[in-house]
Order: sequence, then C-alpha cells, then structure tokens
Amino acid sequence: MLVADKNRTVRTIAVLAIVCFVLQIAFAPNIGLGNGRANFALVFVACCAMFLSPGSSAVAGFVAGLLFDLSSTAPVGLMAFCLSLAGYALSYEGRERIASEFGPQVIRGAIASLGVSIVYHLAMFLVGQGGSFFDVVFLRSLPTALLTFLFLLLFLFLLSRMKSSGPNLGSGVGGGGHLSRRGL
Amino acid sequence: MRRLIACVVVSVVLFTLSCQGGSSGPLEAVRGFFQTATMPIRYFGLVVTAPVRGLGNIFSNLTADQATLSELQAEIDSLRARNAELEEQASSAERLQELLDLRSTYDLQSVTGTIVSGASDSWSSTVTIDRGTSSGVTSGMPVMTSAGVIGQVVSSGPSSSTVMLLSDEGSSISALVQSSRSHGMLTGSANGEVKLDLVSSNQDVKVGDVVVTSGLGGVFPKGLPIGEVVSVTNNPGELYLDIVVELYADASFSEEVLVVTSLTEEQRATAEDIAEADSQESSSGTDATSDGDESAE
Repeated sequence: MLVADKNRTVRTIAVLAIVCFVLQIAFAPNIGLGNGRANFALVFVACCAMFLSPGSSAVAGFVAGLLFDLSSTAPVGLMAFCLSLAGYALSYEGRERIASEFGPQVIRGAIASLGVSIVYHLAMFLVGQGGSFFDVVFLRSLPTALLTFLFLLLFLFLLSRMKSSGPNLGSGVGGGGHLSRRGL
Repeated sequence: MRRLIACVVVSVVLFTLSCQGGSSGPLEAVRGFFQTATMPIRYFGLVVTAPVRGLGNIFSNLTADQATLSELQAEIDSLRARNAELEEQASSAERLQELLDLRSTYDLQSVTGTIVSGASDSWSSTVTIDRGTSSGVTSGMPVMTSAGVIGQVVSSGPSSSTVMLLSDEGSSISALVQSSRSHGMLTGSANGEVKLDLVSSNQDVKVGDVVVTSGLGGVFPKGLPIGEVVSVTNNPGELYLDIVVELYADASFSEEVLVVTSLTEEQRATAEDIAEADSQESSSGTDATSDGDESAE
C-alpha cells in the first residue's frame, strides 16, 4: 500500500512539475500585474513541500529555481538559492503544523511568496539590475508576490480537493510519511 | 539539512559565476540552449494569452514610472512629427506625380515650381513661385496645377516669378466651351468671380459645360482644362451670354505648379480654329444687327 501511495505522490509531483513548468514558460511572461510576473516555480515548491521532506523540498526548490533562472535573463542561481531555502522552510514548518488545515497552508504560502519575491528583487537591485528601490519593492516585488500568491491559492485549493477524493495522497517521499499521519 | 546546504552552496557558486561571466560563458550557453528548447512553449503561450495580454498592459501603464512615461511621450512626439513629415512628402510626391502625368498627357514643355507665397497686397490675385529666369521662366507663360490652369506669369526675377491668377481683375485669356466650341474671353473680377465673356447669345451653353483654353493668341496650349460653367444668363437685348465659370484649380490649395515654357505646333490654334472663332464673332454681329432692326420695327 505504501508503494502505491508513493507512486501516487510521485505522479502528483510530476504532474505539478509539468503544469508549473509550462505555466512558467508560456503564461508567466505574458500575464503580469504592473511589472510583476507570477512565479510558478515557487507555486510548485510550495505544493511539493506538502508531500516531501525538508531535504527533498530543498532539492525540488533548487531544480525549480534553476529552471526559473534559465528561463529569465537574471543571473543564474539566485532563484535556485531562494527556492532551496523556501522549500526547506515550508516543508520543515509543515512538520510542526496540522497539514489538513487549509488556512495555515495559505498563510505559509503568502509569507513564502512575499519573502522570496522581496529577497529576489532586492538581490537583483543590489547587483545592479532593476530601477529604483521604490520600483523594486512596490512595482515589482509586491505585484509578483500577489500574483504568485493568487495562483498558489488556486493550486492549494485544487490539491486539497484531490486529497479529499484520495485519502493517501499526502504520503511522503523520503520524508518518512509524515504527511500521511496528518493528512493533507 | 546536508542537501539544503549543498543546494545553497551550488546556488551561490552558480550565481557568482553567472555574475562574473556576464553575457558569455558556459552558463549563458546553457541558458541559450534552454531558451531555444522552450521556444515552442513560449509561442504557445503567446498565442493563448493574446486576448488577455491587453489587460496586463493596462496595469503596466497604470504603474509605469514618470521617467518611462516621459520617454514614451517624447517618442510619441518624435514619431508624430516624423509621421507628419512623411505624410507631407507622400502628398507632395503624389501631387508631383499628377503634374508629371499632366505634362505627359498634354505633351507640355514645362518646368515644375512651388508656390512660395500669395499676394502681398489685398487688391490683386497673384502668387509667387520659386522659378524664375534662371529656370527659363519668363513673363506670359501659362501656369497650371494638376487640376487645371491657374494663371499666367506676369513678372520674373532670377529665381522667382509672380503669377497672375485667372481670378484677378486684370486677367483675360482666350477660352472656349468644350461641348459647343463657343469661344470667349475668360476674365477675372474684383470679387474673385470668373466670367466667360464675349460668348454670343445664340450659342448653346449649359451649366456643367467644361471650359478649356482655346489656344488663340499663342500663349496657352489649346485644350487645357480651366473650369466648368456654373451659371448661364441670357439677358434679353444683349449680344453676349453672362457665363460664370468655377475654376478647377484653386491656387490657395495648390503647392506644386507647372510652368509651360513653350508650345509645340500642335498645341497652337490652327487656322480652322481662328476661322471658327471669327465666324462666331461675325454671326453674333449679324444677330445684333437683326435684333437691332427688329427693335427699330
């Protein structure tokens, strides 16, 4: 049974990865709020953190961030750095909470969106890419965080619906199945 | 935790290499390959999001900073000026082409000129063109636009000439009604009205008839369009019709003109044309005599 649950988790993550990758490449550049663009790599990492152990989430965040960096014109490694930390933190934080609650997931997602967005854009500002501080914070970071959070909300909602139709979806991969105990 | 540290270290190394490498280096090559490989997905997104992209632009415009807006405004101003300039050139080219067509149609020996100013006084209808004796323009030469004759050169300097318009009170050229071949003198007036005088009252002239140059006098080539008849009045007891002509060419809306410098033999009035004009004159004289006799009776 555990094998079957792991397979389902892997399939879920694979589908999430493909969907978020396509959305990041195809839609994110074309749908913006001000100068902000949705970060589907972060959405993917936040969703993965519900299934994976902190270490695996960090790796997932690193890979997702690396692909994000390659798809952009920014220096490679910056988003990989941010998402590695975000993935680890989200997954680690999730251990201490009751994952079946939708509210805490949303709150963690909002904090991650805001934190990653601000850190990423401030780092870009410090390396000389981007305009003024006001522009970086208010016209890029905040719209990006807001858009990302909106899409994250949608994904979390869909995942919670999937969980309700499949009780074992939350079994962990490499994380000792902690999500199976608390549910999604 | 070890995996996190590894990821963070690799990220920092990549970031450092990327910043140092600039737009070259292995990371940029990988990025180039990645972006090429994902190009189909980008095109797909471009097509699918086309309907909603305008919405995003609205937000972008709302949040654009002042410097961007100023730059865009300056660019708009520059493009607008450039557009007006190009439209002007296109319009000028079109008018010149029409003049060339006219010259070709009538086989005119001519030079092109540009109207540079109107009359400097309020009592004459003249324009100044930028062609003078250095271009072979001399007094008496006919001047026309693509629409028709506008007047005649009355004075020439080395690089400019004054053209008396047909509507000037002192203007008088030989013309005829194209349909009925009725000869007359086209004269201007103080109020700008142009009349075709000396057309015998027994001639058949109707509103809408086209008036062209007759070629008599050897100044204007025959057959050039002048205007059309807008009113014909046959006053009882008068020898000639009162014909008002509306000119085709309006010098106030013209810029490029054609100065006819010489006439070919075909463009001059023939002996038959002169004889026809004479016969009309004599017939009007006969009618006047008979009218006078009837009045006496």
